[in-house]
Amino acid sequence: MLEIKNLKVSVEGKEILKGLNLTVNKGEVHAIMGPNGAGKSTLASVIAGKEEYEVTGGSIHFNGKDISELSPDERAKEGMFLAFQYPIEIPGVTTINFLKTAVSEIRAYRGLEPMEAKDFLAMLKEKQKLVQIDTNLTGRSVNEGFSGGEKKRNEIFQMAMLEPKLGVLDETDSGLDIDALRIVADGVNKLRTKENAFLVITHYQRLLDHIVPDFVHVLYDGRIVKSGKKELALELEEKGYDWIKKEFPEMIA
Amino acid sequence: MSAVAVKKEVSTAKWTTEFEATATNRLGAANSSVKEIQEKAIQDFATRGIPDKKVEDYKYTNIRLYLNDEYALKGDVTKLKQSDVRHLFLGGHATVVILNGRFVKELSSLKNLPQEVTVGNLFTALKENKFVNSISSQGHSSQLTLLNTALAQDGLFINVPERYNCVGPIHLLYISSGRTKTLFNPRNIIKVGEGASLTIIESYHSVELSEKTFTNAVTEMIVENDATLNNYILQEEDKIASQSNVHQVSVGIAGKFNSVVVSLDGAMVRNDLNVSINGENAEIHMHGLFVVKDGQHIDNHSLVEHNVPNCFSNELYKGVIADGGTGVFNGKIFVKQDAQKTNAYQSNKNILLGDNASMNTKPQLEIYADDVKCSHGTTTGRLDETALFYLRTRGLNETLARKVLLGAFAKEVSDTVKDEAFRLHLEERIHDHIA
Repeated sequence: MLEIKNLKVSVEGKEILKGLNLTVNKGEVHAIMGPNGAGKSTLASVIAGKEEYEVTGGSIHFNGKDISELSPDERAKEGMFLAFQYPIEIPGVTTINFLKTAVSEIRAYRGLEPMEAKDFLAMLKEKQKLVQIDTNLTGRSVNEGFSGGEKKRNEIFQMAMLEPKLGVLDETDSGLDIDALRIVADGVNKLRTKENAFLVITHYQRLLDHIVPDFVHVLYDGRIVKSGKKELALELEEKGYDWIKKEFPEMIA
Repeated sequence: MSAVAVKKEVSTAKWTTEFEATATNRLGAANSSVKEIQEKAIQDFATRGIPDKKVEDYKYTNIRLYLNDEYALKGDVTKLKQSDVRHLFLGGHATVVILNGRFVKELSSLKNLPQEVTVGNLFTALKENKFVNSISSQGHSSQLTLLNTALAQDGLFINVPERYNCVGPIHLLYISSGRTKTLFNPRNIIKVGEGASLTIIESYHSVELSEKTFTNAVTEMIVENDATLNNYILQEEDKIASQSNVHQVSVGIAGKFNSVVVSLDGAMVRNDLNVSINGENAEIHMHGLFVVKDGQHIDNHSLVEHNVPNCFSNELYKGVIADGGTGVFNGKIFVKQDAQKTNAYQSNKNILLGDNASMNTKPQLEIYADDVKCSHGTTTGRLDETALFYLRTRGLNETLARKVLLGAFAKEVSDTVKDEAFRLHLEERIHDHIA
């Protein structure tokens, strides 16, 4: 589904990703772990198409299509979703209205008929229940005045509504207490199917207790330096990132 | 080709001549006191002239670029029928049509006007010696107000009697129309009696307009003790029409004045909103939104005078300025020595959409009382790139994402309109104007 080959990315002349390779197939959950400054959030932003990042080498294919020339909205319409580490507050736009626009744009791109209002409302209800988000939150301006947990839950709710093929979760666990973490993870688990895939980016292992990955990759200094099964996350937790740093002394994070 | 740049003449002689020529048509013909006021006004105007950038209050708006000697008081106008303006009516309200500065009864629709409320010609009212004092209130007379006072031939007067709650707005529909450069000087007086309430919608449009016009409007608003006046303004004239629009508002004890000014189109728009708070416990809300496009110039000036203690005023003006457009905001809060326990707030927020968008903003506080709560602030910046990216990752293309963000920015202003039908109308108009 997602195939990244030798990806090199610079921001303001500084190389952040230095030849990254990653393949995610449908039905899989991959975790990307790594110390601060390794390039985790850059990876998430580049996949989503953020324009400030300059791709200087390599390629990203999504469902067989080279997406390097696609805008962020075209990538979303192709079936990608980025759950933000710091979801944006948008005063004056309710989550419901915003999603109505998003759903209709995505459907139009895929050549689908516009959704009937009652079908949209039914879907809204169903997904709200699925991710346990209060209707009083979705009726309010997007993320305005939300707690950290509410913002993250709103990200998962949006993901549920837009039904992406690939969900990229950028440090979704940051700033969450254990209860909020569980609710968010439960939401993601309910959305897992044989047809979609997730890329879970995290600094800590604890999220992976709840969203159990099929593969774990360690990102360090712009490259994936280790890959393994879920046990790798536990090993990392136990030994700390210093273990990686010692193993690759020539790299500077 | 030898091109000689001809400097357009901007003289006062033009208007003093017009003043003499229109003696029998002006408001002064209705009332001898007003005649004196007009004579005084033309003298004062003659010494001051049409303002250019050297005049502090017009530092960023050179009126001489929009009003010169080529303009006349009487223009060549197509005869309009009600069917030509009907599309600008806002539903079932009483609609008062002011065509080229004159109230035209045949174009208006007053059948739903409550009988308690008086809507009429100012000329007639002055003839009956009503409202003469209001005409002479020239406390903050700018050059343009003086010109209006001198040359005004007619306008509206609206009166709501004591304790009458006028449900449903009265719509003043201003239309500029014609084929020659024309200056209009409508003069209005709106009075809301003690304990009464009124909502006035003013909308400004052009119909069959093929030459530049300049509307130089002055409206006096009197909000008596315990009275409420909601004043909603939508400015959408054609790109060749300019206006200077002065509102002089006086508010009595526990009076409420709510103003929303939305400026979306026109060549040059200059608004002066001067509010004088003369009674304790009065409450003033002033909101504005201006959307400026290439070649357009929109200037909002406001003055809030806290003359007495225990009053509240809040002002928020927001601007969206595209490449080639110029916005101006100048807001002054004046708190007199006696006006203790004043709460006065002011904020101006602007979004520039391009490198060639220009915004001049000048908030001013002058406080002579020591026990007050006052604040002002202004921000001018770009559309939030992070928010744009966020919306785009949800499938909204760039144009749509910008529209959503600008719509949300504007909504804070349109949301303050209490009349639901007009609020929805405004939202639609705003949506059409923000790209």
